Amino acid sequence: MLTGLAVVGVARFLQQRQGYENATARSYQVEIAARNRLAEGARPSAARAAIVTQQHQRQALRDDIDGETRDTALLVGAGLIAGLTGAALLFSGLISSMRRPLEELVEASGRLAGGDLETRVKVGGLSETATLGAAFNEMAEELQRRAGERDQLETMKDEFVLTASHELRSPLTSVQGFAELLMLERDKLSSKQADTVEIILDNTRHLVRLLNDLLDLARSDAGRLTIKPAPTDVASLVEDAVRTMRSQTEASKQALRSEIEPGLPQVSVDRDRIRQVLVNLLTNAHEYSPEGASIGVTAVRRGAEVEMAVSDEGPGMAEDQLEHIFERFTRGDAGLTQHVGGTGLGLAISKSLVELHGGTIEADSEPGRGATFRIRLPALPAAAANGGADEPESGDMDGLLADRQEEAR
Amino acid sequence: MTRVLIADDSETILLLMRTRLEMEGYEVVTATDGVEVIELMQRNDEPPPDILLLDAMMPRKSGIDALRELRAAGVETPVLIVSAHQDEMDAGAATDVEVSGYITKPIDFDRLFACIADLTRPGPA
Repeated sequence: MLTGLAVVGVARFLQQRQGYENATARSYQVEIAARNRLAEGARPSAARAAIVTQQHQRQALRDDIDGETRDTALLVGAGLIAGLTGAALLFSGLISSMRRPLEELVEASGRLAGGDLETRVKVGGLSETATLGAAFNEMAEELQRRAGERDQLETMKDEFVLTASHELRSPLTSVQGFAELLMLERDKLSSKQADTVEIILDNTRHLVRLLNDLLDLARSDAGRLTIKPAPTDVASLVEDAVRTMRSQTEASKQALRSEIEPGLPQVSVDRDRIRQVLVNLLTNAHEYSPEGASIGVTAVRRGAEVEMAVSDEGPGMAEDQLEHIFERFTRGDAGLTQHVGGTGLGLAISKSLVELHGGTIEADSEPGRGATFRIRLPALPAAAANGGADEPESGDMDGLLADRQEEAR
Repeated sequence: MTRVLIADDSETILLLMRTRLEMEGYEVVTATDGVEVIELMQRNDEPPPDILLLDAMMPRKSGIDALRELRAAGVETPVLIVSAHQDEMDAGAATDVEVSGYITKPIDFDRLFACIADLTRPGPA
C-alpha cells in the first residue's frame, strides 16, 4: 500500500520533473508494476482493497494530471512569453550591436570600391562582426599591396621604355647620320651602293619612327603625354603637314590637294603634335593609295569646331576593320602590311593626341571606295584669333616647292 | 670662321657631328663631358667658341649642369642642348637656365645648321 502510494508519488514526482506526456506514460508503467507486486505478495482481500484504493488513486491521479496539464500549459506559455521577450530583448541588443559595425563595413566597402585602398574598419564588437571586419581589413590590405605592386611594375615599364629609347637612339643617330653622310656623296657611289645606303636610311628612319611612337604610347599610358597648346592658324598647320609629305607623294605621282576654307578660326593646339597627327594621316593615305591617286586634305568650319579631313583612294575598309582601326598594331588590311611602312601605332597615338586636345577623330570608309579620316578640334572664339590675314590659300604650290627645295638643300 | 664646341660622350657621334659641321665650313672643338667643356671655356690660348652644342646627359657632368655653371660664371655664348628625347630635357629641368634651343637625336642636320646660322649671325639677333 505504502509502497504503491510511494510509487505513485514517485510517478507524480517524475511527471513533474519530466515533460508532461513522457512522465504520464511512465507513471502508468510504474503504477502497473506496483499493482502487480501488490497482487503477488498481499492477501487477496488486501490485494483487492489495494486495487480499489489504487483505482481511487488512479482517479485522483487523473484529476491531478488534468490540473497538471493546465499548470504545465500555463508554465509553458509563461515560459514562452518570457523566452520570447528575452529573445526579443537579446535580439534587439544583437541587432543594435551589429548595426554599427555592419554600417561601417558597407561604408568602407563603398570607399574601397571607389578606389580608396587605404580604407580600413575598426575591428571590435561581437565576435562575428569582428571576424568580418578583420577579413575586410585583410582583403583591403591585400588589394593595396597588389595595387602597389602593379604601380611599381607600371613605373618600371615606363622607365624601361624611356631608358631603352635613350639607349637605342645613340646608335641610331650614328647609323642614320653616317648613312646620310654617304648619301651626300652619292655621285661617288655606284648606283648599287647608293641603293644600298638608301635602304639603310629607310629602315633607320622606320626604326626611329617606331621608337618615337613607342615612347609616345608609353607616355600616353603613364598619363604623361603632355601638350603645350597655343593659338594656332589652321591653314598654316595643314600646309606645314602637306609640305612635309610633298616629296613622298610626288615620288608616287600622287596628287596631294589641300582645300582650306578661308577665314577659319584659330584652334588652341600644340602645333607639333597636331602636325604629327596630320602627317600620320597623310602618310597612311599615301601608303595605302596606288600610284597616281589623289589625296585630299580639307579644313572647314563645323559650328564651334574646325574639321580637318584627309581622304585617299586606297582599298578602303569594311566596317569590322573600321571598328579596330584606332587600336595598336592594327592595320586596315593585314595583307598590305608588307608594302606599308607605318608602325601600326600611328592611329592609336593620333587618337590619344586629338583627345588630349579635347577633339575627336573618326574614320569613314567602304571597301573599294577609299577612306576619310576626320579630326575635329574646338575653335577658338574669334576674339582670340588676332590677325590671321596671312593664311595661304588652297594649294600654294610655288611656296611649297620653294620651301621643300630649301629643306632638301 | 665660326667656332663650334660640341660635347657628347659618344666618340662616334662626335665624329659624325665634326664631319658634318666641318663640311659646312665650321671650325670644331670637341669635349666628352661637362668637365671638359668647363676646362675648354676657361682656356685663354684659343679664341672662345661662338656656340656650344651640349649633350644633355653625359657622365661626370651633364650638358645642363655645365651650362648652369657657365651661365653662373657670366658666359653668354649661345648653347644648344642635344638630347635623346623631350622627357630628358624635361627631366633635366633646364628651365632655370637660358637655353638657345634644343636638338633631338637622331640629329636633323639641316635644322641644326639653320639653328647655328641663326644664333651666330653677327649683329643684333
